[in-house]
Amino acid sequence: MADLSFTRRRAILLLSLTSVILITMDLRGSSVINFARSTFGVVFRPIESATKVVTRPIGNAWNGMTHYNDVVKENHRLNDLVAFSEGSTISAIASVREAQELLSLNGLPTLAGIASCTAQVVGQSPSNFTQTVEINRGSECGLKVGMPVLNAAGMIGKITDVYNKRSVVMLLTDPGYSLAVKVVNIPAPTTTTTAAPGTPVGDITTTTSTTTTTTLPRVTTTTGIPGFVPGATIATSSTLAPLPGEVTVPVGDVGPNQPGKSTSSEITVPPGLDVPLRETGALEGRGISRTPIVRFVENQPRFGAVRIGSPIISAGGATSLAPPDIVIGSVSRIVNRTGTLGPILEVTLAANLKNLNFVRILLYQPSSERVVAP
Amino acid sequence: MIQRVLLFAENRYARLVLVGLMVLSLQTTVFNDMRPFGVCLQVMVLLAASAGLARGSDVGAIAGFIIGLLYDLVLTTPMGLCAAVFAIVGYLAGVGQSLVYEPTWWTRMLLGSTASAIGMILLPIASTVTGATGILNVRVLFVALIVGLFNAVLSIPAERLCRWALTEPAAVR
Repeated sequence: MADLSFTRRRAILLLSLTSVILITMDLRGSSVINFARSTFGVVFRPIESATKVVTRPIGNAWNGMTHYNDVVKENHRLNDLVAFSEGSTISAIASVREAQELLSLNGLPTLAGIASCTAQVVGQSPSNFTQTVEINRGSECGLKVGMPVLNAAGMIGKITDVYNKRSVVMLLTDPGYSLAVKVVNIPAPTTTTTAAPGTPVGDITTTTSTTTTTTLPRVTTTTGIPGFVPGATIATSSTLAPLPGEVTVPVGDVGPNQPGKSTSSEITVPPGLDVPLRETGALEGRGISRTPIVRFVENQPRFGAVRIGSPIISAGGATSLAPPDIVIGSVSRIVNRTGTLGPILEVTLAANLKNLNFVRILLYQPSSERVVAP
Repeated sequence: MIQRVLLFAENRYARLVLVGLMVLSLQTTVFNDMRPFGVCLQVMVLLAASAGLARGSDVGAIAGFIIGLLYDLVLTTPMGLCAAVFAIVGYLAGVGQSLVYEPTWWTRMLLGSTASAIGMILLPIASTVTGATGILNVRVLFVALIVGLFNAVLSIPAERLCRWALTEPAAVR
């Protein structure tokens, strides 16, 4: 009995030690572990492919039973969406091309200047705790760890493991994913009304809850940029809506250069230009059942309140995981926080991560992911 | 040479590896597509628990380790993490079986289900210990519940499979 107990203890100790050693080696990026995984992939892939062929009818039957109604609904929705999108796509393509030409003319980097590789998603992670998919392209196509992966809708993730003919892509929803992003605030709707003939000429200031309205001699213009007047070289006196918790000061007591108050500084804004304001933050995944969030958005008065539906795009930069201006999604919910903490933005991703097929990998390796030679 | 191959094939852990490969291929294909309530069903953890139920805690721990290692080879989690967790699952299932007086089919189902659920709770805890963030939340309990329920259904055939795979060479002949 004592001998048996000793053997048992020894076996458990051996298993524990082996696990610890393996975990340590893997976390330190041991090439032995990578080689083992790669070799196992070569051996296991044919078995998996054969099983996939054999079990496909079972999977199809299951999907037919559980997802039929969803597929029908999705089909109707997509038909409507296609009809709606066809017209706007053409003008959008034209706009994107013009923007890329403009960026190229100014010597600025564009997505069009980055080579890419197309791949197909061949499997997803069987784990409940990691959000990864596997694609059928690897180092033979020039893929490297850290490269951003997109589909037709927008960003879907980044490459985390590369083998010869396959790669693993960590999705945006994975808790380990983080990316610098820009929030583009949508300008408020602009309304222009012409004053009726005979209206007395003079400056009448009108205050609204969210916008600044200035009555000019002939035209009244409302903009979404607080303190800015389109078409005017010198901003005229105006009153902004009080921020939550702010004490309202009578108009007559307002001095120059008060934050959020009237201003008489010389600001030149080209006429008719609705410049979208941008703010940076960090996008973080939160798992498969929760939408990603954007943190560290500064609560700047000039930026104004973030609106639901504001687009989120990649920020770019020397240490960013992706080049700038890749569409990620839009703001779906805003969680305001007290004090100087900026709001937390919940993001609805543009890409449908549950239904990935063809993806594009930008052959852009961020500097933070480059392997430094010893 | 052939004698050696036969001897290797007669080894119960070699048979377990072959069975494990088959189950792993099912895990990464059909069970990866079937996600009731959005939960990926885990037959690998069931195999580890069944090994413990079939052959006791010692063999269960070693078999669980081997099965977990196979699973680690296709996952992106640190190598050895599933191996450690599945070894605990196999061990616990074996210990649980030894504590039951005259085990019946439903006690085996219950033990297989419970061991699987414990494995599904231990896995995110172990991942968090190794540096992963954001995976230890309430959803873990839901995943454990669904995996436990499903594995209860499959635990009897899985135990028979493990009982056959882990039979001593003499008995196989």
